[in-house]
Amino acid sequence: MTASAEFLPDDPLLHLLRRATYGPTPAAIAEIRRLGAKAWLERQLKPASIGDRVADGLVARFPLSGLTIDGIHAKVRAGVLPRYGWAPMYEVGGAALARAVWSERQLFEVMVDFWSNHLNVTCPSSDVWDSRPDYDRTVIRKHALGRFADMLKASARHPAMLSYLDNRYSTRAAPNENYGRELLELHTVGLGYTESDVKDAARLLTGLTVSWETGRYRYDAGRHATGAVRILGFRHANKSATGGEAAAMALLDHLALHPATAKRIATKLCVRFVADEPPARLVTRLTKVYLDNKSAIVPVLRALFTSAEFAASVGAKTRTPYEDLVATVRILDHGPEKSGTEAIKALYWTSEAAGQAPMAWAPPNGYPDVATAWASPSGQVVRWNAHLNIAAGWWPTTLRRPSPLTEYAGGTLPATYGALIDAVATRLLGRTVAPAHATALAAFYGKTLASPLRSGDAAAGWAFPYLLALLLNSPYFVLR
Amino acid sequence: MTDCGCRVSRRTLLGAGAAGAFAGLVGDQLATQLAFASPSYGGDVFVLLSLRGGFDGLSAVVPAGDPAYYAARPGIAVPRKQLIGGDSYFGLHPALAPLLPYWKGGSLAAVQAVGQPAPNRSHFAAMEELERAAPGTSLRTGWLDRLMGGLGAAGAFDAVSVGGAMPARVLAGPAPDLGLTGIDRFKLSGEGHGRPMADTMAALYAGAPEALARTTAMTTSALATAATLKAAGYTPANGAAYPDTELGRALRDVARLIKANVGLMTACVDSGDWDMHENLGTAAPGKRMYDHLADLAAALAAFARDLGPGGLGRVTLITISEFGRRVGQNGSGGLDHGYGNAMFVLGGGVKGGKVYGRWPGLAASRLVDGDLAVTTDYRAVIGEILRARCGLTNVAGVFPGVSASTLGLVRSR
Repeated sequence: MTASAEFLPDDPLLHLLRRATYGPTPAAIAEIRRLGAKAWLERQLKPASIGDRVADGLVARFPLSGLTIDGIHAKVRAGVLPRYGWAPMYEVGGAALARAVWSERQLFEVMVDFWSNHLNVTCPSSDVWDSRPDYDRTVIRKHALGRFADMLKASARHPAMLSYLDNRYSTRAAPNENYGRELLELHTVGLGYTESDVKDAARLLTGLTVSWETGRYRYDAGRHATGAVRILGFRHANKSATGGEAAAMALLDHLALHPATAKRIATKLCVRFVADEPPARLVTRLTKVYLDNKSAIVPVLRALFTSAEFAASVGAKTRTPYEDLVATVRILDHGPEKSGTEAIKALYWTSEAAGQAPMAWAPPNGYPDVATAWASPSGQVVRWNAHLNIAAGWWPTTLRRPSPLTEYAGGTLPATYGALIDAVATRLLGRTVAPAHATALAAFYGKTLASPLRSGDAAAGWAFPYLLALLLNSPYFVLR
Repeated sequence: MTDCGCRVSRRTLLGAGAAGAFAGLVGDQLATQLAFASPSYGGDVFVLLSLRGGFDGLSAVVPAGDPAYYAARPGIAVPRKQLIGGDSYFGLHPALAPLLPYWKGGSLAAVQAVGQPAPNRSHFAAMEELERAAPGTSLRTGWLDRLMGGLGAAGAFDAVSVGGAMPARVLAGPAPDLGLTGIDRFKLSGEGHGRPMADTMAALYAGAPEALARTTAMTTSALATAATLKAAGYTPANGAAYPDTELGRALRDVARLIKANVGLMTACVDSGDWDMHENLGTAAPGKRMYDHLADLAAALAAFARDLGPGGLGRVTLITISEFGRRVGQNGSGGLDHGYGNAMFVLGGGVKGGKVYGRWPGLAASRLVDGDLAVTTDYRAVIGEILRARCGLTNVAGVFPGVSASTLGLVRSR
């Protein structure tokens, strides 16, 4: 067995690109080499400063993904959309996939995905048919690089979260504990609360509900359970029904800035960006940065990506199925289709078949983010098949594909199979593969590394995409 | 898209084992609490057939002795004279005729008024709860995964779900499992004569870190097994004719895996589209419920026939659904989401020809918000089967806080 790091190029810029984005593209590699790591990272941390014409254009092809709750209800009234229809939610998924592949604001999109899992509201799912697009825009995307306390409060006042975790049905006579429990266990402090904490949180959250007429959030003082509460060090007299909403927001601020929450979010960020079992000292340091900055995320990310632990973590992450799929399209440098959404939908269904369509995880804990969770033969076969289908242009069929040999092997026909394999590996992986692996790739074509490559050979023509796929199937690509 | 979204393959939506997220938390701990009769598995192959969308158990196992049933469903009740099988109180829907021999022969039983411990009428939340089967706990694994962990499942073909590329949600967790859209379709794109994709992958993962190498070894071995099965072809035994439907094809593949002795311990199959809010129809061919039940019965009968008495002797199949449907029909000639339900149990060890469970009655005062009450926890029924047929001694290890039912619906193995 070999250490994971030995499968990856020894290049800190490529390491940063593989972690802070959905995977390198030729343009991104050129850019980070031009700017250097520091300037590249600072640019990514200010997404509003980055023009994003291509992604904006693609998102515009999913117009339902941008609808407000009122907008969806208006379309239902106009007979344009069916009540309880799923189309807007699928468009949110399609837009997410398009942005993951083609947005220039890569770190922002990765963080949107991170928070979509942290404050998971499954998309699509029937109880958020009218609110999930709005949740994506006004809760997750709005605060993805802001303060967590603000995002948490926005989620607590959003119909999507209140519907998904049943708080809309919670009343003072019969408090529903679902949201209260997940708020503590998943959204903030993690395991370690008591049942009394859950009960008091559920009581304090009564009144935060959804209007049946409009689908909008509303605070209903008539449903609020008054009376003193104590939740993980938070105390509130909670005397008046009309003051219930403010009291609930005070709890959320308390929870967002709780040291256990800080540690939990620091840990999750490290699991996403550094290692499945993150270095304890880095987690401790990031926890402090989070608390010192009142839950602002940018300082935490800056500290993470500039840390020695991050630099030393090459090979410590494995791509999840979704990351693998998006990284495949990116490194192959396929352009979006000229019009329509057929290819993006095909990619969406591929990610669904691999078990990780964007935002579609059903339980409230969000997709698992560690390699062991995804180590399944079925999943591997789906990924391997996707690599060839995409590289060969079999499915999706409408992506704009570069001219294969020119793009991946450098324009002129390499003289031997060994040279072909080296050229393509360097283009896709940033390095050549070990001699034994190169030999196996040549053997796939029934050749040796020294065999001359002729222009009429299958390997230089119709069978060329197999080489792309085999390299993308290999440990060199699956590691992030 | 139907309103519940149940036709989206739930297993791929919910997909993906989530081992790492739970390993070291509760999942492992629970798995080690399980104790099986024998170290090498010698129990039944346990087949879980999920009827997605909310199956109407009252149409399938009709409480003909309860006048409230006919009063509540003036347009869609199954007339007493059309009922088949059953007993003095219940009758089976006529579309289930292909299963009548198994009912009469004693290898098919039903349990009435089963369900989850608390009503949950959201498809989404109810399915999630059904498959996690651990209310009031922080467990996020599927119950079948917890069972497989206890069985010591180690190979890709130990636990299989057929119908989607990723394993069913009920298998989510650390134990190994395999999702198949079908045996013949489990293959590498591009693999062919002169293009040894799988062999090349095995070579490319030589020397890879342990975790990656292990998965790849399992993948290439599973691909090889599937290729062998595919090359051998398959002709169902005893003249069994599976319907050419998704369910028929899936059960055919399950039978194929059972007979091929690839190590199968459990299999999951879905049958969707039971969400009939409108036009459920009368008990006549061409009507929605009739045709759905007819497909279900034809597929199950073919499965039983294909396995033969010997094969069926080491198989137990159960049907479950996230909830039953409302007792009273709605204004659209359909049924809204309800609560209590019926489940079927098919297998050589079943003491069949009988409807089990305590019948709560359909009188208004007996209903739970208009729905059939649940008198038996579905987990207790499954627990009884797993204990008697699969050697499970600690039911609470799979279903926290649950004891096996004592209905006596299967013989001990």
